[in-house]
Amino acid sequence: MAQEKEGIEGQIPFTQAPDAGAEGEPEAWGERTRVVGERHPRVDGYERVSGAAVFPSDVVLPGMVYGAMLGSPHANARVKSIDTSAAEGMAGVYAVISRNTGDANPAWSYGGGHQGRLFEDHCRFEGEAVAAVAADTPYRAADALRAIVVEYEELPFVSDVAHALDEDAPGVHADGNLAGESEDGRGDVEQGFAAADVVLERNFRVGSQMQTPLEPHGCVASWDGDRLTVWESTQGVFAIQGELAEVLDMPLARVRVIGHYVGGAFGSKLRTDKYAVAAALMARRINRPVKLFLTREQTLLTQGNRPATLMTLKVGAKKDGTLTAIHFEGTGASGAYKAGGTSLLDWIAKDLYRCPNVRTHLKDVYINAQPARPFRAPGYVQGSWAMDQMMDELAAELAMDPVALRLKNIPDGSQARDDKPYTTDGLRRCIEEGAAAFGWQQARAAGKGKGVAGKGEGHVRRGVGMAAANWYVGDGGPPATVILRLYVDGTANLNMGASDIGTGTKTVMAMVVAEEFGMDPDAIQVEHADTATTQFATPSGGSKTVPTEAPTVRRACLAVKDQLMDMAATQLGRPRQEIRFAGDRLETTDGLETVAITDLDALKNQKVVVGIGERQPNPDDVSITPFAAQFCEVEVNTGTGEVRLLRMVGTNESGRVINRLTWDGQLVGGVTMGAGFAQTESRVLDGPTGKLCNKSWHDYKLPTALDVPDEVVSAPVMLNDEEANIVGAKGLGEPVTIPTGAAIANAVYDAVGVRMLDTPINPETLVARIDLQEGPQ
Amino acid sequence: MTTPFSYVRPRSVADVISSLEAEGATIHAGGTDLLGCLRDGVYAVDTVVSLGDVEGLAGVRELKDGGLAVGAMTTITDLAGHATVAGRYPGLAQAAAAVASPQLRHQGTVGGNLCQKPRCWYYRGDFPCLRKGGYKCFAVNGENQHHAILGGAQCFIVHPSDLAPALMALDAAAIIDGPAGTRRVAVADLHVAPAEDPTRETVLEPGEVITEVRIPAPPAGLYNSYRKIRTRRSWDFAIAGCALALTLDGDTVRQARVVLAAAAPVPWRSTAAEDVLRGNPLDDAHIRDAAETAMADAVPMTHNAYKVPLFKGMLIEELAKARPR
Ligand SMILES: Cc1cc2nc3c(=O)[nH]c(=O)nc-3n(C[C@H](O)[C@H](O)[C@H](O)COP(=O)(O)OP(=O)(O)OC[C@H]3O[C@@H](n4cnc5c(N)ncnc54)[C@H](O)[C@@H]3O)c2cc1C
Repeated sequence: MAQEKEGIEGQIPFTQAPDAGAEGEPEAWGERTRVVGERHPRVDGYERVSGAAVFPSDVVLPGMVYGAMLGSPHANARVKSIDTSAAEGMAGVYAVISRNTGDANPAWSYGGGHQGRLFEDHCRFEGEAVAAVAADTPYRAADALRAIVVEYEELPFVSDVAHALDEDAPGVHADGNLAGESEDGRGDVEQGFAAADVVLERNFRVGSQMQTPLEPHGCVASWDGDRLTVWESTQGVFAIQGELAEVLDMPLARVRVIGHYVGGAFGSKLRTDKYAVAAALMARRINRPVKLFLTREQTLLTQGNRPATLMTLKVGAKKDGTLTAIHFEGTGASGAYKAGGTSLLDWIAKDLYRCPNVRTHLKDVYINAQPARPFRAPGYVQGSWAMDQMMDELAAELAMDPVALRLKNIPDGSQARDDKPYTTDGLRRCIEEGAAAFGWQQARAAGKGKGVAGKGEGHVRRGVGMAAANWYVGDGGPPATVILRLYVDGTANLNMGASDIGTGTKTVMAMVVAEEFGMDPDAIQVEHADTATTQFATPSGGSKTVPTEAPTVRRACLAVKDQLMDMAATQLGRPRQEIRFAGDRLETTDGLETVAITDLDALKNQKVVVGIGERQPNPDDVSITPFAAQFCEVEVNTGTGEVRLLRMVGTNESGRVINRLTWDGQLVGGVTMGAGFAQTESRVLDGPTGKLCNKSWHDYKLPTALDVPDEVVSAPVMLNDEEANIVGAKGLGEPVTIPTGAAIANAVYDAVGVRMLDTPINPETLVARIDLQEGPQ
Repeated sequence: MTTPFSYVRPRSVADVISSLEAEGATIHAGGTDLLGCLRDGVYAVDTVVSLGDVEGLAGVRELKDGGLAVGAMTTITDLAGHATVAGRYPGLAQAAAAVASPQLRHQGTVGGNLCQKPRCWYYRGDFPCLRKGGYKCFAVNGENQHHAILGGAQCFIVHPSDLAPALMALDAAAIIDGPAGTRRVAVADLHVAPAEDPTRETVLEPGEVITEVRIPAPPAGLYNSYRKIRTRRSWDFAIAGCALALTLDGDTVRQARVVLAAAAPVPWRSTAAEDVLRGNPLDDAHIRDAAETAMADAVPMTHNAYKVPLFKGMLIEELAKARPR
């Protein structure tokens, strides 16, 4: 990893922290930090690896019983009748609820103005809830589900986004299948195309990708009188608290949600779903805790997806590569209810590359399938598939290097936000530094469409491709509060409501505290993700947890330091302005006197110092935006359409690197997920019945360890975005997956000259397009 | 999730056979296929008869004629890693190594692999399909991207096993014990085509158990290989595969076995392709001709036409590898 940047590791042993309590904003951390930027293992690594970590699905309470949900097996059906008597009579069955139990069928909304019930009469997608049971074992609960007799009236359905708006398409709702429509733009695209030397237009189609986290969706619900406690696998405990309080018509203060560990989410656990309401209702009825986790099939049927999307993209450019016009049309499927089927879909087209004339038009449509949910960089992953393949084709058309074409069109500010200036030159730096790290020039010159050297088989070709991206959020912002307690022994307790969704949030925050106090990150105990005992936080999503919480944590540190400075001033008999921090000590500015934090008499007396941090608003005259670029090399077998991803370089500008280990982890995960999007994952709904065909982990194909390239190089742009916030960090978790798909598609094109406009690219889809099967030479 | 059943662990093959007399009795070897089927409600069982305590069913032993006998309870891992197997029949070792994932290979057995149920998503899903006693094959008008292009009739599954084509190419036979005694059935005759009976996968009669698989001695000049193409590189069934057993005399093919995986409801021997190869040099023209011929009778369904160029491309590549260098 020659391209790995120096300058973070091996630095001087402590930081000169900014003077706490000084007027105005605290100083930025300097270039030289002690802990921040290092590779620090997870503070909860032992718990995670040893199995000691209690995930919500591990929670077992005294007297607990097991819940299960019954879903409609049809794409679209009306429930004519439900007979639950046999299930109710079964040994070990404690509760059965359905639309027949009127006191356990509250109002429920999928959002977007929808007003429905927990158990609907009209089930508009396969898996929609029909009944729930609770029994003494999961097996009995499953048996009870089977004993429920439901009579359905099957209704016509539409499951293909391409046919949702057909005149004769069955209406998912009475008012037709257009869930929403929007337009945006700037300049004059007609003029832009007229001024272009080259105009290209292509239709793209991406399949629906499903989040499918390792830990299924579910919860344990337990009542203590009129107080409800829910352990839920979630990205945001406060969001779940709000939803449950509303559906159950309870005061917020009586609903406690705990989500210490989460076995993956990827956007599908920003909200809760009907299972949690059913669990809470059944637990109340039978006065026992109820554990209800969905089956894998149910998570694939009902717990979110990146919508299947159709895109038409037309771009115009001058001979020198200057973009003159972009016209983007997108149709995405919300599913059976309004769920952001085209959310953020046109942003890459209208914001990433500089272009004065842009028009976008989005149509969100209903289909008879589960509602979509934000999936890691919603809209952007789809939009990038189209835009960055188009840039590649344009480069070929103009006989330009794809890197050069992109560098020609770098905007100074966010064009979709009235040109609000960016705080950094991140896009250019990602592309330039990534190209250097990858060895782009050499690789392109060496490879293009040639047989693989040493393979002795001319039908295996190599190719390279790249793509770039920015991301919609990643700036973070209020509200957020954290409380830091510094103890007399020099350890600390950090209280923060945010969830650590597996990205290493707890570790990053501990490193921030450690940086400020000269501590070891392991000396910090992080209490988090409990609505009753930790501070309010918004859900961990949008890549905004680090930029939201890390500055807040730093503010709490500064509030503690402020008090410590007073203590030191008194103890050392100096005016306060003559006191400064030096690692885990305080010293006089003349360096003559020094005292360890743990030797402060006042601290010894009062045992603890408490500091509160509040997230301050961001500056509103700039666009705080993360950037990315990825470069990959593939090998394509022209006889079979097999594509092997050989290596990938990912460059990200997300401001300051706080934990290099979790940063690199995000990149590898993002590349893997992007490779799944491009190569293996796509929901298959049966044409004749609309039912999900690939509803297991062997039929819905996530990439395996063998599918990840042997060489994934993370080459961060080393830059501190000081305008962004007081730690200089922006979001990373989503930008790492946006450009992967287009980079792979572009590399495949480079290898075999076939432009794959639809996902996925695999032997099935590629072999039919390769007419190069000349056989062995 | 599954209906109740009783579970027995007989200690001898004779006791296995008598245990299998019970109504709805089914053999349990490694359980990797059985448990999934029970969990998904594909079929029900009343009695599960474990082979786990039966002595002598696992392992590879030499036969006097220079062949090998592979016990039915030999794990796929053991088969893949067996030095003699890899030495004599590299294609069989390759096929074993390409099965599923390491965990499944540790647990899954050779007998179970030959008798596993199809992987069709209609058969495994909640569709009342023909093979489960229902009324039609849902793949015909449905999502048949992974279904048969050869040999389909009424039902269009593809046989999921990687080992069966490899064993078939080697002319292996299954030794079957049952109430009527012991019989020997060529692996080539073990599986039932849907034209004959779409509700059964093997010719095994009630009460019968495979005890071992016998592979004849490798002929002189044997070239043996297995190639598998899949959507991802592990934990995935073939979308196309082929087992080759060629006997070469210099550049000339003396004998040829070409067996296709994931092409048909049973492992599919392409005798027409073999005819093209036999007696001829393994040159580009014959290789191409063989690949074309193997696909000559293919009848693609609505979503699986890609399989035709895929099989051709694969066969061209694999046959070329067989050329003496
Ligand atoms: C996720 C997944 C992926 C897979 N991928 C592949 C793959 O890529 N390639 C491939 O070839 N296979 C694959 N398999 C199938 C796997 O190889 C088989 O499940 C395994 O070989 C079966 O062996 P077992 O001992 O576990 O059989 P069991 O599950 O115990 O039995 C399977 C069936 O065979 C019957 N049976 C078992 N032993 C005998 C016997 N001695 N005589 C008569 N009947 C018997 C049983 O009654 C049962 O019907 C996959 C399976 C899974 C679950």
